[in-house]
Amino acid sequence: MGSTIAEKILGAHAGGSPVKAGDVVVASVDFAMVHDARAANALKMMAKLRGGHDDVALPFAARTAFVLDHYSPPPNMEAANTHVAMRAFADAHGAILYDVGDGICHQVLPEGGHLTCGDLVVGTDTHSTTYGAFNALGTGVEGTDVSAVMMTGKLWFRVPETIRVELKGRLAPGVWAKDVTLAMLGRLGAEGANYRVLEYCGGAVAAMEIDDRMTLANHAAELGAKAAILDADERTFAWLKAHGARAPKPVRADADARYVERIDIDASTLPPQVAHNHRIDDVVGVPEVKGRKIGIALIGTCTNGRLDDIRQAVAILKGKRIAKGVRMIVTPASRQVYLAAAREGLIEALTAAGASVEAAGCGTCVSITGHLITGDGEVVISSANRNFKGRLGNPGSEIWIGSAATVAASALTGYITDPRTVEGGEWRPETGTDRNRR
Amino acid sequence: MNDNIMNIRGRAHLLGDGVNTDIHCSSKYLPGRDNAYVAQHAFEQVAPGFASRFKPGDVIVAGRNFGINSSREQTVQVMRLMSAAAVVASSFGRQFFRNAINNGLPVVECDISGIAEGDAIEIDLAAGLVTVVGRGISREVPPLPREVQAILAAGGLIPFLQRHPDWKLA
Repeated sequence: MGSTIAEKILGAHAGGSPVKAGDVVVASVDFAMVHDARAANALKMMAKLRGGHDDVALPFAARTAFVLDHYSPPPNMEAANTHVAMRAFADAHGAILYDVGDGICHQVLPEGGHLTCGDLVVGTDTHSTTYGAFNALGTGVEGTDVSAVMMTGKLWFRVPETIRVELKGRLAPGVWAKDVTLAMLGRLGAEGANYRVLEYCGGAVAAMEIDDRMTLANHAAELGAKAAILDADERTFAWLKAHGARAPKPVRADADARYVERIDIDASTLPPQVAHNHRIDDVVGVPEVKGRKIGIALIGTCTNGRLDDIRQAVAILKGKRIAKGVRMIVTPASRQVYLAAAREGLIEALTAAGASVEAAGCGTCVSITGHLITGDGEVVISSANRNFKGRLGNPGSEIWIGSAATVAASALTGYITDPRTVEGGEWRPETGTDRNRR
Repeated sequence: MNDNIMNIRGRAHLLGDGVNTDIHCSSKYLPGRDNAYVAQHAFEQVAPGFASRFKPGDVIVAGRNFGINSSREQTVQVMRLMSAAAVVASSFGRQFFRNAINNGLPVVECDISGIAEGDAIEIDLAAGLVTVVGRGISREVPPLPREVQAILAAGGLIPFLQRHPDWKLA
């Protein structure tokens, strides 16, 4: 019997013997991440593990990133003090620090060259699945876990079952990885892949640029997945090389690997999707949504705040004005994304169109910084990943989740709009041209 | 707590499917409230009176995806404060499962049909058996792997690593 990608990666990190779904292994980790929203707990657990002995060495600190992204900027003294503690801890132990404004953990880790194909990466965030876009096994953990990794370089894992998802055909212009995941959520339900790994394959995945692949892997968190992993190809290798990553150790599933489920999706017939009614798995095709007026349009987050998302928005909004009465905020996922967008004139185009561009970070995903609180009855369309009631500070508002294309098209018209019906809404990234610019 | 964490006996207290422990058993949405406060009000919205019925050594019995969406370790620390002996559920949210083991709380995936509020429930973790004598229920469950048993026996991952910094099991 063959092995899945997850079984191979965990086996290779747990001494090399074959492992199968259901086994529990102690595996060596390649890289770890702690972000500010969970850092207070992680530092507490770290102190407990070291038993009050500050001189206990943390050999893995040099392979751990501390990322100040959720509280950017800190909304209160407590969060600011967490940042102070994180900076001091990173400095004392040689951990890698990404400060406020540098960007979101899941963007800065790959951009920083911290991971490569075949790696095992843990982070204190459910969207750590993002690293699967690079053929790495990335998964979310808590403070105790990451403390154990920082001290020993290892962690226990239950080897997960895998669902193989084949995306056949090609996504139509105006349709993105975001729409694929939303369609999957409509089909499987939130947590429909709980504890499982999603292996995405097929022509539509191979045709995706890295930015879109990152969305696909990232958004698997909403399906409850432990990880989502894509095959590596020349595009992956080129991207990793351009960002200074270690030499890739690509891992492919065996033809006779055992899957708990196989899902085939015809990508070519999929229309843009949106989630609504305060549920990420209450999903409809955008063409079915008629006359839904919006007040706020948001592009950003670890799910869809990358350069191609911003380029798509500009393709729709350049030289135009967003609808009267609509407030639009764009938050680049990282400083590098922001810089690239600035160099391409995208920041100027968005600002001229009536949008506000904010400093890189988790931004408007969740109201914890307080810089976006919605009013009663306000309707939001967002490229974020969650739309729980009250996520933007007011249970009396509603959040619709869609692609950056759908958000930009909706900002233009003032109503939830199929991007394929507006000029520029069918923009596609040009493959192979200047794709790896930092 | 039970003297032997591998053999648990307590009263069952029932919760439904899809209970989000971040909402119902942490201070994520109760800023400034400590674990003691959360423990006194845990699961109140989904099972009124739950915390006041729950006695030290009792067992939480829940439906599908218990701890769904949850990433907070605090949830398990609150359950430890309530002196919960174990959680038996049809299935668990993955991060909750990790957090429970890391914080020394036994978790057992098991069919819960037929188990009622207040039933005396017995769990043999090493053998992989859940029993409710009063209802003639005796269900086999996959025994917890040796590594997980060792972490639970130590009281959690931190005390385990303090004793076994190289992860080696005796």
